Amino acid sequence: MTASPSHLDLLESESIHIFREAAAQFRKPVLMYSIGKDSTVLLHLARKAFFPQAVPFPLLHVDTTWKFRDMIAFRDRTARELGLNLIVHTNEEGIKRGINPIDHAPSIHTDVLKTQALKQALDKYGFDAAFGGARRDEEASRAKERVFSFRASGHRWDPRKQRPEMWHLLNGRLGTGETVRVFPMSNWTEKDVWRYILREKLEVVPLYYAAERPTIVRNGQILMQDDQRLQPRDGEKVEMRKIRFRTLGDYPLTAAVESDADTIESVVAETINAQTSERQGRLIDHDQAGAMEKKKQEGYF
Amino acid sequence: MSVHALHKTEATQKAAPHLEVVPNLVRELGGITHLLTCGSVDDGKSTLIGRLLWDASDLYEDQRENVRRSGRKAAGTDLPDFSMLLDGLVAEREQGITIDIAWKYFDTDTRRFVIIDSPGHEQYTRNMASGASHADVAIVLVDARSGVKKQTKRHTAILDLVGVKHVVLAVNKMDLVGWSEDVFRKIEADFRTLCWKFNFWDATAIPLSAVFGDNVSAGSGNMPWYTGPTLIQHLEKTPSRTSEAGSVFRFPVQTVLRDGQDFRGLAGTVTSGSVKVGDIVVDALSNASGKVIRIATMNGDLPSASAGQAVALQLDVDIDVSRGAVLSAPEMRPVPAQTIEARFVWLSEDAFSPTAGYLLRTSTDLIPISNIEIKALLDLETMASRPARSCSANDIAIAKISLGRAASIDVFTETPETGTLLLVDSVTGATMAGGIATSVNAKAEQPAEGHFVLKRDMLANGLNRDLSMSSSDREEFMRRANEVAIILRSAGVSVAIEPPPPVDDGMDPGL
Repeated sequence: MTASPSHLDLLESESIHIFREAAAQFRKPVLMYSIGKDSTVLLHLARKAFFPQAVPFPLLHVDTTWKFRDMIAFRDRTARELGLNLIVHTNEEGIKRGINPIDHAPSIHTDVLKTQALKQALDKYGFDAAFGGARRDEEASRAKERVFSFRASGHRWDPRKQRPEMWHLLNGRLGTGETVRVFPMSNWTEKDVWRYILREKLEVVPLYYAAERPTIVRNGQILMQDDQRLQPRDGEKVEMRKIRFRTLGDYPLTAAVESDADTIESVVAETINAQTSERQGRLIDHDQAGAMEKKKQEGYF
Repeated sequence: MSVHALHKTEATQKAAPHLEVVPNLVRELGGITHLLTCGSVDDGKSTLIGRLLWDASDLYEDQRENVRRSGRKAAGTDLPDFSMLLDGLVAEREQGITIDIAWKYFDTDTRRFVIIDSPGHEQYTRNMASGASHADVAIVLVDARSGVKKQTKRHTAILDLVGVKHVVLAVNKMDLVGWSEDVFRKIEADFRTLCWKFNFWDATAIPLSAVFGDNVSAGSGNMPWYTGPTLIQHLEKTPSRTSEAGSVFRFPVQTVLRDGQDFRGLAGTVTSGSVKVGDIVVDALSNASGKVIRIATMNGDLPSASAGQAVALQLDVDIDVSRGAVLSAPEMRPVPAQTIEARFVWLSEDAFSPTAGYLLRTSTDLIPISNIEIKALLDLETMASRPARSCSANDIAIAKISLGRAASIDVFTETPETGTLLLVDSVTGATMAGGIATSVNAKAEQPAEGHFVLKRDMLANGLNRDLSMSSSDREEFMRRANEVAIILRSAGVSVAIEPPPPVDDGMDPGL
């Protein structure tokens, strides 16, 4: 340790502190694991916070059944290799109703298979706190998010009911029916996430690295044909392109970028020199004005 | 830093991104500076922050493009409206006023900056205090045409109260006073006079124009008489709170980590000072002490740990210490406080109630309060206090608190990190107030004579015997108890309701 810690050292310590505060104050926490790079860092920080003890809470993945296949393989291998308690939850009701991201508006798909599914899972297991990898730099409405973000009964987020946070004091005392989302990486930026992955030599889903993949261009966005459920429409065709992803989600809703960055070093270099912020690649955000704000009030992470 | 001037950005907009040299990839900046901006509604605060972001080198191109494409212009100019970069919640965009704290991040070549944007409206003083509690340095913005105002005084007082040590007075809109040195010097002198009263280590005034960018990140051709640093140059030299944390070792224990029979680690973050292997540490409450034999992290054991580092300490003896304890050096231990005096910023919409049942949160402890009394309110414009018995949102209250049991608390001005407090409503869990300990006393205070206490047992067996332990019934219990207290008080009886016992919900073993 050098005399003056770097900004990554400081961010890491802060995140560890938050993890420990939450684990000590809440009865039944869970880590929201969405398999992407932020979850990878979040999980790594959780392991650091409780080392040499095992991570004292389970991981929850809300599976919409539309994730990239590489993500699911990575998820299962990570849980196995690290000996983690992984819970996978799908809104079976929504699947039965045939909700999907190709035929339905992204907002409907997200509401049913993500937002509703998440609420179902939290209620089913009685979790009172859920760790998430959200960062304040991601999007305007998240710039105001607290580290401990309280949800009233029904998981509703009310911007006017959020508790002020002062100094490093984290008040986790819950009122009746309240639950909390905990964001240990609130103060990280996208660049920090990548720098940290590089520094800590963390493995991420291969989709972050450029490779030749089957693609369809739709509405000016490059989509990957991860399986046969996504078919070209009139005037579209499946073409191989060298692409990678800056964020990962449901594959029909996640736009790729053309890139030659196929190593962690080149991905980090590309991110640091990027001209657009990562959420440009997330189609659900463009669905409606103030989209993220609305989703959050409805209980989306 | 490389300044991202407007014309330059436009010229290079279409150019292919050049890649940084690989060895610089893991760019670990030399530290983090948390920057609070405060000012009145029309002082141009959002424009100043927007300008800082715009001129910082690492803003994404799509964010710049949004500003350009919107066609919104800064008032009375042909320049883009930089304040757009601060737009936050939907409701707020419609209202056009900040109702909360927004966090923004940008990097220069040497530091990470975290901008804490706090509302300027007077009603939101509590939000400013909350934001300021995180700040290493504060920019107090004034309009050059109006200079130091009452609001400026309030803001400066809040900064001092929550422990900000570095303050910059940004004298904005210098273009509207003809870039006049006389105007600036007058404001600078007023600011100096104002800052005499406070404990700032550094207070600097800078003349600037947020709209035109003068003295923000580039110097000003319009004000050749000003030879001091630009705002960015000044901020880059400002140290962070962590780096200035005192030398007195404090380690609030968050939780105990176990690994088989061999490891019992006290997990926490060093809040001030440092600790090394071989040091004797003590818990002031139990008087238990031990020698540090291992400082564990997942990256390997450390020989020492200093302020800001999150570690786990293993001691040579298995002392009975858990969450809530504050480890210190034996000769520099915190007071095991039974009574404290504190200054609070009242944050809640609900006013103070002497019978509400509050808990005190310290760094990692949650302590029942047996009695809390508001003594006075502080006038932030005059710094004079006047006697008061109650307080409400945005008030600064001086309170005396008797604790239900001893807790390790430091005096804030001496050891800030372990002298901070929150008042928590024991039923709703809401954070009612944030405060600092101004004096701590190991002696318990006797309740004032003639003080009648409504015992909960008595209430439960009589008036409230139809009520269960459900939360709605607990609320009804308190409602009836409050009614009785009000009736007795109006009959001239000094009365208090016994605070509720801790709810047995498995939370916070520190309680």
